[in-house]
Amino acid sequence: MKNSTTNTMRMKGKDLITVGIFSAIYFVINFAFMLLGTIPIMWILMPGLIALFTGIPYMLLAAKVQKPGAIFLMGLITGLIYFITGQFTTVILITFVIGCGLAELVRFLTKYKSFMGNTLSFACFSIGMIGSPLPIWLFKESFIAQISEQGMSADYVASIEALSSTGMLVLMIAAPIVLAFVGAFIAKVLFKKHFVKAGIV
Amino acid sequence: MVIKLNNVSFQYENQPETLSGIDLEIAPGECVLLCGESGCGKTTITKLINGLIPHFVEGGVLSGTTAIDNINIAETEIYRLAQYVGSVFQNPKSQFFNIDADSELAFGLENAGVDPAMIRERLEQTIKALHIESLMGRNIFSMSGGEKQTLAFASVYAMNPDIFVLDEPTANLDADAIELLRQQIIKAKSEGRTVVIAEHRLYFLVDLIDRAIYIENGKISKIFSANELWQLSESERISMGLRSLKKSELLIPTVGSSTDTPDLTVENLSCAFDKKEIFHSLTFSVRSGEVLGIVGHNGAGKTTLTRCLCGLHKEKSGIIRLDEKVLKPKQRQKSCFCVMQDVNHQLFSDSVYNECLLSSPNRTEEEIDKVLQAFDLLPFKERHPMALSGGQKQRLAVATAVLSEKKVLIFDEPTSGLDYRRMLEVSGVINQLKAHGKIIIVVSHDFEFLNQICDKVYYIDK
Amino acid sequence: MSSAAKKGRLNFDPRTKLILLVIANIVAFTQQSIWVEIAWVVSLLILIAVCGCGKSACKLAVAFSICLLLQYYIVPVMPQVLATTFLILATYARKIFPCLIIGTLLVQKTSVREMTAALRKWHVPQGLIIPLSVTIRYFPAIKEEIGYIRDAMKFRDIHGIQKLECLVVPIMMSATATAEELSAAAVTRGIENPNKKTSIVTMRFGVHDVLCLAFGIIFCVVAFIIV
Repeated sequence: MKNSTTNTMRMKGKDLITVGIFSAIYFVINFAFMLLGTIPIMWILMPGLIALFTGIPYMLLAAKVQKPGAIFLMGLITGLIYFITGQFTTVILITFVIGCGLAELVRFLTKYKSFMGNTLSFACFSIGMIGSPLPIWLFKESFIAQISEQGMSADYVASIEALSSTGMLVLMIAAPIVLAFVGAFIAKVLFKKHFVKAGIV
Repeated sequence: MVIKLNNVSFQYENQPETLSGIDLEIAPGECVLLCGESGCGKTTITKLINGLIPHFVEGGVLSGTTAIDNINIAETEIYRLAQYVGSVFQNPKSQFFNIDADSELAFGLENAGVDPAMIRERLEQTIKALHIESLMGRNIFSMSGGEKQTLAFASVYAMNPDIFVLDEPTANLDADAIELLRQQIIKAKSEGRTVVIAEHRLYFLVDLIDRAIYIENGKISKIFSANELWQLSESERISMGLRSLKKSELLIPTVGSSTDTPDLTVENLSCAFDKKEIFHSLTFSVRSGEVLGIVGHNGAGKTTLTRCLCGLHKEKSGIIRLDEKVLKPKQRQKSCFCVMQDVNHQLFSDSVYNECLLSSPNRTEEEIDKVLQAFDLLPFKERHPMALSGGQKQRLAVATAVLSEKKVLIFDEPTSGLDYRRMLEVSGVINQLKAHGKIIIVVSHDFEFLNQICDKVYYIDK
Repeated sequence: MSSAAKKGRLNFDPRTKLILLVIANIVAFTQQSIWVEIAWVVSLLILIAVCGCGKSACKLAVAFSICLLLQYYIVPVMPQVLATTFLILATYARKIFPCLIIGTLLVQKTSVREMTAALRKWHVPQGLIIPLSVTIRYFPAIKEEIGYIRDAMKFRDIHGIQKLECLVVPIMMSATATAEELSAAAVTRGIENPNKKTSIVTMRFGVHDVLCLAFGIIFCVVAFIIV
């Protein structure tokens, strides 16, 4: 008698395809909120909102492919599609790589199976999205200089400065971390209610 | 190449033994049918030959050896086996990897690293040999299930394997597409390739197969020569749980355009899609407790008609009347229920009981139990709907419709991929609904099934 | 990314488009002069129009003009709350406009197979190309699924927040099943073959590709010089 497959930690064809499919779902949800992001205040909250709603595909993928690289690939794919369609910039690619790298590290340290570990890795992963509104702060000076030159009143400049204040920056970064925990909790509820009971994980 | 299974047993993870002690030898160029009831183990045999067992299926326990010529399957990487064994699966939707047909056809050869000039030559041969010119250059998502399956066969054919393994390839196909597949198998066979096919539907395999292996509870119980199989009496084949051996003719009277019977009447109904008319001025009627079958060729608009009847598609002109009252699409959604071909899309809850409660929250537990009992679902009351078998899921969907007192039930291809016994179960459900005085419409190309349940048939065609 | 390039029109190598996209990114975040920006956007619009995206080029041109109008003429006379909103929007949209233009070209005139062929040429590992192509292939499937599920919900009287759960759960279930079935099909067709994969898509770096990239690099340099 022999067991039919030996488990390796290297991703096989099936793992890669699973990553591809869940990345598609992740991207669709992500994109829906990206569209909302055209309203500036929503844009700043966007990384947080995305974390809240993408917990399910993330946790499901983490449960299905308990191997190194799965999450990194998901992030890379999301970043690349945004990049290829021209909606995004190198800034988000960089933050994504950092977020995914951290997420993978957490997964490695927590041995891929623990719920807490996966939640923590999801929080790291969610921070990757801050690369989208980050240019507000990165290019703040040139931006403010530009609108001042345009002859905008000091009032306008002040309100822009308020939006791009350090407080807002903290909010923008903290939101995805906090909401990732909420998102993972929602996923946990659905796991218990549906996925485990139906026998898919 | 010779396929040899030597005393093979297999067990899926956490399940009783699926195959036990299978000995089988298939000669080069032979066309072999694997038949038997659902769950008998025929699909598992196909997986042994294409290497999915042991390389893809995780956690199973395998003993014995499977080999093609001198290649031991268990010791050969699946991508090497891909050179010799080509596989076509059941679900047309989930076996293409690309979006466009051309890439899909080249996919296997590109994976194998074949020289591009040679790939192009081979693709040309394939397109000619299988007459699939009309599929080329198209988006696969725009194709019908039959076209997708034709393409799946062609993509495997392009890889030029010695052995074709087909696992219930016609489960989701209509009569025209089945005929196409038949022609493709004939072509492969005439080129001396081995074909192993696991199927419920048998009629299209007449004069194609050389042997039929009848499997029962994971063991080979009988081996028939082609002649022996076709000469089985009706009672013998029914006792074996096999579907009809001959192409069934419709024995039900077809109805013309009359609306003399009330209850549900459809008058001069026309539907269009993006301004293109799908069908024009259909008229028919159904009475309570009556089953109307709807048949017609691909593209005649059966799907659009069902969608329109249950209010998912707005009619271009015409009237749909239920109990003398003209219904708008929204109202039709309230009084109709459609059991979809893929019932997985219409179960939402976390247990069978809650699924029933979801759309009829005012029902008492006793009422729900009674309906569940009627549809053989009571023992599974606490089970997750997705953990049910295909037939049980279908019955659960029907149960929800009965509980919310829908008057009209529409079934879209309810017997696709079912064996004889499971087809009878569906007939049983429909007969029950009939006794309850429901109006039942069944869209199907399964004539053997329609003959059993329909009172009349409406033929829709351009 | 479905429609393959039509013959007879100017068609760039997918690699050219990808490089151009990188250049557009660099230019977007280095240039400061409005005139450089306008020149860059106009030349890119002409480029994609020549490639057969005339319609989209017109739409993008109108959108770009609106951004400019908003920023320079309308925002200054708007109430403050609205002004802040529109200002950030218009400024940022303008910044990524060149990327959006090339993105449009990529999406409309490059098939997935050309893209994968280009990535293979660049020795991007299979471990990335496989899931990336599955992701793109699964987008239309998600759309199909959502359609079926929403239809099914209409018969069931489902309301409010419940709707969300009833949508998410079947999508996840079906994704899991598809992952299994698609993998089986792909594996039996040799997707795990470690050999170097070939492609029947021919790619040639033509004179027009070189010219196009040279043009892009000039803009890049100009963007650095003119501040």
